[in-house]
Amino acid sequence: MKTRIKEFRAKYNFTQEDLARKVGVRRETILFLEKGKYNPSLKLAHDVARALKTTIDELFIFEKRK
Amino acid sequence: MLLINNMEVREMKDKIRMTAIIIVSLLVIATGTLFSLTSFMKGDIAGGVAGVFIAITILVFAIFVFMRGYKDMKKGFPLQDERSRKVIEKATSKAFYVSMYLLLAIGFLSDDLIKFRDVSQATGIAVGVMAILFAVFWAYYNRMEI
Repeated sequence: MKTRIKEFRAKYNFTQEDLARKVGVRRETILFLEKGKYNPSLKLAHDVARALKTTIDELFIFEKRK
Repeated sequence: MLLINNMEVREMKDKIRMTAIIIVSLLVIATGTLFSLTSFMKGDIAGGVAGVFIAITILVFAIFVFMRGYKDMKKGFPLQDERSRKVIEKATSKAFYVSMYLLLAIGFLSDDLIKFRDVSQATGIAVGVMAILFAVFWAYYNRMEI
């Protein structure tokens, strides 16, 4: 799974810490989300998308399984 | 208003959690120290050394967890979130799974290869090793994709 969190974060000038505070998670969680190394719950994905004024579909790119 | 209340509740929960971490760590360290002292007094050097090793490991882990939590609380981050809970769940289940085999091995090997002072010493060492296993699995899963 790839994400566009970093791109959207840059758009709104948010640091990882700012986004983590907005969403109410630890900074490492944002870091792992950005790297695509954590599959968030639907609620967290929704909260992050809302904090970045976008949708889950725009933020998370799901690759087709081979 | 609701957000402020939620944050206050979260901060309160985090403070309680931090206090619990300190109390539990102190209790475990005190138990480890007592365990070592009684082992040394009874002339069981290996048991005493194992107790000291376990107490020190738990002390180091507790200091690390406390410092990390304290820094995060000051910065306004929660002590736990869904990812850290997932890491704890994975580490706990793996530590439990591995310790089952460990306990089985201890059961088979006791009296032949390993000589325990009594049942309480064997149980103490097994629980201590479980704690160390948890710490190792936690450190592993905290860096891996989950």
